[in-house]
Amino acid sequence: MRGSLSPRIRGVLAVAATGMIAALATGRPELAVLAAPFLIFAGAGLFLAGEPRVVADIELERARLLEGEAVAATARLSNEAGRAVNVELVPAHPGQLVLEPSGALGVLVPAKGETAIRFSLRPARWGAYSVGPLVIRVRDPLGLVIWEGTLGRRLNLRVFPREERLRELVAPSRTRPFLGNHVARSRGEGIEFADVRPFQVGDRVRRVNWRATARRGALQVNDRHPEHSSDVVLLLDTFAEARDAASGTLDSAVRAAAALARAHLARRDRVGVVDFGGTLHWLEPAFGTNQLYRIIDALLASDVAFSYAWRDAVSLPRRVLPPGALILAITPLLDERSIALVTDLARRGCDLTVVEVSPFDHVRPGPSASDALAYRLWHLERDALRARLRALGIAVAVWDPDLTLGPALEEVNAFRRSARHAAFA
Amino acid sequence: MLAVAALMILVGLVALVVTDAGSASELAWLGAGTAAALLAAGMAAGSPGPVHAAVLLLGAIFLARHDLRLLLAPLYGAGLLQLEALATRTIELRGVALIAPEAIWSRTAATLLVAAVGACVAAAAALVVTVGPGRSVALTAAGAIAAVGAFAAIARFARGRYRRSE
Repeated sequence: MRGSLSPRIRGVLAVAATGMIAALATGRPELAVLAAPFLIFAGAGLFLAGEPRVVADIELERARLLEGEAVAATARLSNEAGRAVNVELVPAHPGQLVLEPSGALGVLVPAKGETAIRFSLRPARWGAYSVGPLVIRVRDPLGLVIWEGTLGRRLNLRVFPREERLRELVAPSRTRPFLGNHVARSRGEGIEFADVRPFQVGDRVRRVNWRATARRGALQVNDRHPEHSSDVVLLLDTFAEARDAASGTLDSAVRAAAALARAHLARRDRVGVVDFGGTLHWLEPAFGTNQLYRIIDALLASDVAFSYAWRDAVSLPRRVLPPGALILAITPLLDERSIALVTDLARRGCDLTVVEVSPFDHVRPGPSASDALAYRLWHLERDALRARLRALGIAVAVWDPDLTLGPALEEVNAFRRSARHAAFA
Repeated sequence: MLAVAALMILVGLVALVVTDAGSASELAWLGAGTAAALLAAGMAAGSPGPVHAAVLLLGAIFLARHDLRLLLAPLYGAGLLQLEALATRTIELRGVALIAPEAIWSRTAATLLVAAVGACVAAAAALVVTVGPGRSVALTAAGAIAAVGAFAAIARFARGRYRRSE
């Protein structure tokens, strides 16, 4: 720990010196007598101050928590010196990790004893945080010398995006021939009724539709749609974000990606993630709970990294985008490169859906009339961009992060249904 | 609570002066009012400068008292020190969200102890002045050298061991 003089010592010595000088100048001994306690106080404070022997450690109740939750922490302080010390625990993570109660925490650690301070930490948003080492401030018994240092170990705290339950998901155009929850367009063994057709050699007797057979006078069988799984790739745009003091579009995008990954994995789909931005990261599609944790860990590491690098669909490895996969691009559509990627994927015939994280909550128009005009023009430009993407056959839904994701997905499904019907017509 | 205690000490010190200020009582009241304002401003703004200015002003108005000045000076000085300690502790605790009561009491008790020792030393000095010979150049020089020596010793010790905090 590093010791330093507190600002108070200057004042105490100034008072003592002024009293002494005034006493000598005016010949009034009372002034010297008034100043004497201050001089003795300064001397005693400095001579008595010794380096504290404090050992500190921190423990967290949990290492993982959901966004919005608080985690209880305990700081254990032990004093190896022969006299009690005043210790202040100073918050070391302002901003993202909010200390409750906010501000420093003061405690007296007895001689050769131990004291525990309990407090809670509330992360401002999802992410991977490191808690500790603790910043400790110890004052000497008279408060003239301050010792400061960092003690204890570093702990990792992972904050997962808050969970959003989705009742409806984007239905994929193509499915994989593995058991899942999506009703496939193909025909085979399943529950969902598809059609009635004449009996063929090899059809099971249990599939015979006796009523249709009686009406048509020949054996008729029921065709069914099988329940298949699909490949889903979540494309997270980290080229740019709109951000204000409280939150940004990336925060919401990660929440949406986590909710979509959780919901699709629960429906036995293979889910992968591509963090498409200044730095490129990906996770190949896979099944199961382990994949969910891998995806969330990958999402927690996502951040907007400034870069001039131009990336397109060729930058992505082939195995990351399996043929027929449903690509869900979660993007604020703020960067030309992400717009170009979306367009490129659509032109390549990918089954693409864009969930546009609305940036309007984070951008306010300026005070002047020209600012308001520019803001309106920006709105119109974004409407035009959306129309251009829809003309390419891309389902684009605007998602207001203050609302649930469900209506946006429903909007996407409606667009995809109408586009399919238009194609058949 | 510490701020209230500091203000109560200020009231006690002012009462000690104005009860025997005679014709200078108006000046004493003016000084006391200014000191109270400075003290409150320092504690509110979190700056120790106005607090020390208030202490100097309270020390100056002590000269307005007519009788028993030398006898009461040690007690008054100890009171000034306690006032300064409470006010600066209030400033220190501004950024502290939670503090154990024993952490406050231990510091207050230590300051009280040192103030008592300081008062005793000051009383001894007052006794020496009272019973000693009258004012002379030699005695004044000896006192000045003793005071400068004490300051030099403190400054040298502090500079050698600690860095000034910013």
